[in-house]
Amino acid sequence: MPTSANSNHPSRPEDLIGRLNSAHTPYEAKLKALRDLKNQIIGNRTKKLVFLKLGAVPSVVSILSSAAAPQDGGGGNREFHESVLIQSAAAIGSFACGLDEGVKAVLDAGAFPLLMSLISHLNEKVVDAGARSLKLIYQSKLAPKYDFLQVKNMEFLLSLLNSKNEKVTSLGASIITHSCQTAAEQQALSGAGVIKRLVCLLGGSINQKDASLESLAAMVKGNPEVASKFMGPENGRALGVVIELMKDKYPRTRLLASMCLISIRNTSTSYLQDLGIKSALVLVLLELLDDPGQVGDEAPFVLSGLVTEKEDMQKIAFDANVINKFCEHLTAGSFQTKRLQGIFLALSDLCSKLECCRDRLLDLQVLNIVTEALAHDSAEVRAAACIFFKNVSRSVKNLSAGQFMNEAIAVPLVQLLCDSRTSVQYLSSLFWIFRYGYAIEHYNAVTIYLAVGISRLMKNEVAALGAISNVVVNFMARKSVFMECGGVKQLVQLTKSMESAIRVNAVWALKNLVFHLSNRCKEEILLELTSTTLVSLINDPEASVQEQALGLIRNLVDGTLNSIDCVFGEDGELLHAIGRKMRRSTSKVEVQIQGMYALSNVASGNELHKEAVMNQLLPQAVDDKETLLVKFLQSSDSRLRTATLWAIINLTYPSSPNTCHRVNKLWNAGIVSQLKNMVNDPCLDVKLRAWTAVGQLMMYGDAST
Amino acid sequence: MESKCTNQGCDLDHGYLCGTMEALNVPMADTPVVTFWEGEIVDTKNYTFFTGKWGATVTGLGIMSRVEDDIKHWTKFPSFPPLLSQVEADGGKSLDLSNYPYVFMRWKEQYFVNVGTDCGLTIAGFYYVCFSCSDGSINGFYYDPNSSPFQKLELKSTNDGRSGFSFSTYELQ
Repeated sequence: MPTSANSNHPSRPEDLIGRLNSAHTPYEAKLKALRDLKNQIIGNRTKKLVFLKLGAVPSVVSILSSAAAPQDGGGGNREFHESVLIQSAAAIGSFACGLDEGVKAVLDAGAFPLLMSLISHLNEKVVDAGARSLKLIYQSKLAPKYDFLQVKNMEFLLSLLNSKNEKVTSLGASIITHSCQTAAEQQALSGAGVIKRLVCLLGGSINQKDASLESLAAMVKGNPEVASKFMGPENGRALGVVIELMKDKYPRTRLLASMCLISIRNTSTSYLQDLGIKSALVLVLLELLDDPGQVGDEAPFVLSGLVTEKEDMQKIAFDANVINKFCEHLTAGSFQTKRLQGIFLALSDLCSKLECCRDRLLDLQVLNIVTEALAHDSAEVRAAACIFFKNVSRSVKNLSAGQFMNEAIAVPLVQLLCDSRTSVQYLSSLFWIFRYGYAIEHYNAVTIYLAVGISRLMKNEVAALGAISNVVVNFMARKSVFMECGGVKQLVQLTKSMESAIRVNAVWALKNLVFHLSNRCKEEILLELTSTTLVSLINDPEASVQEQALGLIRNLVDGTLNSIDCVFGEDGELLHAIGRKMRRSTSKVEVQIQGMYALSNVASGNELHKEAVMNQLLPQAVDDKETLLVKFLQSSDSRLRTATLWAIINLTYPSSPNTCHRVNKLWNAGIVSQLKNMVNDPCLDVKLRAWTAVGQLMMYGDAST
Repeated sequence: MESKCTNQGCDLDHGYLCGTMEALNVPMADTPVVTFWEGEIVDTKNYTFFTGKWGATVTGLGIMSRVEDDIKHWTKFPSFPPLLSQVEADGGKSLDLSNYPYVFMRWKEQYFVNVGTDCGLTIAGFYYVCFSCSDGSINGFYYDPNSSPFQKLELKSTNDGRSGFSFSTYELQ
């Protein structure tokens, strides 16, 4: 039985869509259906998704398009059409509000140009509806990028900013916030006089103030020239106005004012460096954390922007008890995902450099909360928890206490690697299937989504590897905990990843794990890793992977004497690989340093080991070209000079039986005269080692004379 | 009593280092006693020769000692006298020690790693330490107002059975 038109129950979605689509529905009924739809979806994500699935957006956009077309007749007809414009624009805006699926549907249906055309309508309410909806679209990353460098686009933007309509000016500012990314765009906007207009808007309505603060932050970010223009006399007391807005009665305005000041501060060290403003920023953001809504969710991210990489700000935040406040929030109860992610990231930044911050964090006993978050449903929270562990475990004191090496932490970290690896492999397979198996019109959208998915998973994998790299340094004897969780198998698999970022972090983690590890555990790792893999890592296309691999080998051959034979076995293939890498002129200095320390460690072994290293550094067929040793001793990098000197010290160690023979070779290769030039090296370490090496060589005299 | 000392962490920017000390043949203990220690490097920018900071007599190590005690202990190292006059004047703040072949430190044991506090050893005091960059030897004097003065610490670098020197590496992300 048909529902009465005056019923208080909301219409079923299917019925509503039907009425919107039907050519037989009277216009008044369509307008009512639009209102009904708008009222159902406002603030209701679930309803929005239901209607999206039923294809509501194309239906609404079609109605908007018809109503926006030039109309015959005026009077009541025009008024009716304007109501349709307003309601359809409002419905479209609601679909786009805070919902990427909605934004995508709206853009795909062609709503954007239609909404833009409403900005110049004679009816202010139509203009408002169009501007509001466009602003909601521009809050999403999916909104089309606005090209400020096109003259007519800049003119249009300026017309928006200069409009008397508050919503239109806010739209103009939102477009800047969304699309201003490059220095060229920032310069173009600044050159067009946009800053002055935005500064005026700081004295406008709440929406205008907020929109202006966000767009000013985007314009000055990373651009000292534009920042300087903002601070210039032509903009009056602009900075003072923004500072005052930190005390505004609206929390969102206080947050955005803080963001704007942080953007200026991070752009140029000339501004906002006094202790007063630094402390004020910390205190405002701390207070905003108490906001239960979106402002409180965003406050930790803004604080991160203030303190990241800045030890002085971290100290100020520490003194203001920021860490305590964040931990109180953590222990108080469960949060929205975004806020939890933000708190973890802010705490990570706070403890990134200062031991006092890490100490305070560990004293407050929130590790168990962060540990649980390693298994959170949200990938962003899991990644943030990994970054937290990475930074807090920079505490050598707590690594020494074995604080982080236990099953509660190791198991979820290893599980993250396992899950990520499986997912990345799965998505990578899909990526290649779509690339080669589907028609080109499907390829682009699907592969972009897959690429984004893979990229996000890789970021999480790198985050987990970063945390693992640090916690396995653990100096206590319980490194085996990590191995018992299957961590080595996962790391070894990841050393074979197609992505260099994954490979380098996996090898880095293995290197740290092997630091001062027992021989038994080293043997287990070698069994899993194999010499073949090690050789392939030494020859990896990426220098950073080579460097980590050689560092890993260096650690494998340190410790008791028999560790050298365990690594190099009988064929010496690995040693040859290291020698070849050292001889390659294109090797980076960091690779050479680790390689020399690996060889030096081997050279601290028995006679066979020393001779094997000697053969790599001074091969039999020595021509009159500069030898590797001399080249390295003459390196401009003192670390390489030092590493090479240690190798020579070990090769000429006095108590070894065949030292005399090696000393002769070194004399003949001109090493001694090179060493004598180094006894006054500007680097103390080099100088002292050169003295030792010369002393050892001189004990055997000049065998050539 | 024999000791084995391992340096595990080093942050030269903040003048910090740490490690463990293993005391062997401790009369009242069945096993070697391991302690964790933290050190202040006297680099004249993070820390000076004066244990107290800016006139106070308490350091981050939580130890109190007077300037006279500082001078008395540092002077016991043969490598210190060339620096004495400057140290007496301002704690050595204006000295550039970056090329000096000795590193002066204070080490404070913070806790027992593997035993209880009733093992017969005390960690109430701290060590004045001098490290020789040329041969890696370490000398130190223990300071604790409640213990006999100038107990010595003498350490030499070990090779663990190798014919030469071997180094491991780790790098925190």
